[in-house]
Amino acid sequence: MTADPTAPGIPEDAMRRLAEMRPGQATSLFTSDLSVNEFLLVREAGFRPLGLVLGTSIYHVGFQLGRWSSNQELTVLSQAMYHARELAMTRMEAEADQLGAEGIVGVRLEIEFKEFGSDLAEFIAIGTAVKADEPRAPDGQPWRNNQDQPFTSDLSGQDFWTLIQAGYGPLGMVMGSCVYHVAHQRFWQVMGNIGQNIELPQFTEALYDARELAMSRMQAEAERLAAEGIVGVQLLSLGHRWGGHTTEFFAIGTAVRPLRADHVIAKPQLVLPLTDS
Amino acid sequence: MSEWDGRGLPPVAAERMRRFARTGLRTSLLTVPAAVGVQSVGFDPVGEVMGCIVEHIGWSGFGGCGYFGGIGGFGIAGGTVTSSGSVPFVGFGPYVDALYQGYDTALGRMTEEAAAMDADGVVGVRLSVSHLGSRTGAGNREFTALGTAVRARSRHRPSRVFTTDLAGQDVAKLVQAGWVPVALVYGISVAVRHDDWRTQRQASWGAGNTEVSGYTELVVHVRADARHRFDRQARSAGAQGAIVSSMSLRIGEMEPAENHRDHVAEASVFGTALVSFHRGPRAPTRSLTILPLRQK
Repeated sequence: MTADPTAPGIPEDAMRRLAEMRPGQATSLFTSDLSVNEFLLVREAGFRPLGLVLGTSIYHVGFQLGRWSSNQELTVLSQAMYHARELAMTRMEAEADQLGAEGIVGVRLEIEFKEFGSDLAEFIAIGTAVKADEPRAPDGQPWRNNQDQPFTSDLSGQDFWTLIQAGYGPLGMVMGSCVYHVAHQRFWQVMGNIGQNIELPQFTEALYDARELAMSRMQAEAERLAAEGIVGVQLLSLGHRWGGHTTEFFAIGTAVRPLRADHVIAKPQLVLPLTDS
Repeated sequence: MSEWDGRGLPPVAAERMRRFARTGLRTSLLTVPAAVGVQSVGFDPVGEVMGCIVEHIGWSGFGGCGYFGGIGGFGIAGGTVTSSGSVPFVGFGPYVDALYQGYDTALGRMTEEAAAMDADGVVGVRLSVSHLGSRTGAGNREFTALGTAVRARSRHRPSRVFTTDLAGQDVAKLVQAGWVPVALVYGISVAVRHDDWRTQRQASWGAGNTEVSGYTELVVHVRADARHRFDRQARSAGAQGAIVSSMSLRIGEMEPAENHRDHVAEASVFGTALVSFHRGPRAPTRSLTILPLRQK
């Protein structure tokens, strides 16, 4: 942001506004989960925050044993991880819908396994519901997605601003999950490998399979939203509490659509900071 | 040292204010960027201000969810009792009231110091709570509010000293964009819920994949209540918006009687309430895209 310290009325107008305030008078109030930078950039991108929205679910994750010597997806666990996240997300979307929002920005999706009770985890989705200043996007379409839901995006306010500047609009957060059990090596295999530098093909293959499942599920969600692409994808492998051979592969990103034909943004100015980090 | 009746500022703090008035020596807790930030939008740091209270929390309210096997209880909404419920002494209402009194008093004493310095606001407020050791007895808590008082280069004075937990840099950006902080606002709530047979079944080892609806309801209610109280404070300050800076939730179990387990959750939301003073339909900001030539 460019700062102009000689701008008229600062802080004169600010202090006058505070002096005029009558505490207790009815106002329309917004809340937001954004930082100051994000808040200002989201405003500049042409969106007004309406309210902090939140969805949560405390979920009992079932139990499934992988066969000791085989590579396999643990479908019960995959389903649990996906279903619980979806519960949290849809509840958050429902809150935003009630506020009349056109989108939710800066969504954080978190999982916290609880100390009390076994296999209990809280799945929580937090974001800021926003409404656009212009009822329609530059391409003449509404901001909501083709499921008539507010768009969701896990991009930060800064990334969101850049995305809009570049002529893209978010459609929705898309995700795919796969909990995978990686086979243990058999005894003769371990013995045969002693003293050798070799690839362990079954481990390689297991990781390939698991990632592929998670990513293809995410892509399927984006296709349902008729997206052009997915940005800000994170591919995480989360150990949670299942021990060394069972891992969740989780892919998440924001599906986007083009808002205009060209995607040129102003060339950024290069700065050379005279400090480290 | 004379006994202090708890009204106004403690004698030592009052003496510090008198000394400030005499010498005019300015102090500040701001970092260099924060100080430059607030000065760039017309605020001068005046002095470091503090408010503090040590409180003994001896009674948290009626322990447990209020369920007495078969007799029923005070439960609303299917078994979750929040501290804002209709019965004042259940759902840890007295405990939450005590927390509010602690934070309010600490903030109040801090703004009183700021007012005594003829300041217009306090920026970068840090709120903290610490448990005092067992020597002074269990259940003693110290609430502290610490910040830097600033004065505006302006003919107008606000009707009340504004407070914010935002750093000086953030305050500068907001004022540039036509927003000014009003007050640090917060919401706290505690809720308790009896583990009924359904909850016990859903959370048991063999339950398979299922949402534990009782616990979900507990956290939904307690967060909703904390957010509601946060909104109410921001509204009563006359604000147009509020930026949440931190939100936390603690949940744990307790056993008020044999074969009776409850879960208790405490939620809190802290943030800064804002009003806008720019008149146009849009905030007057214009971002400049820069690319730092760094490795990361």
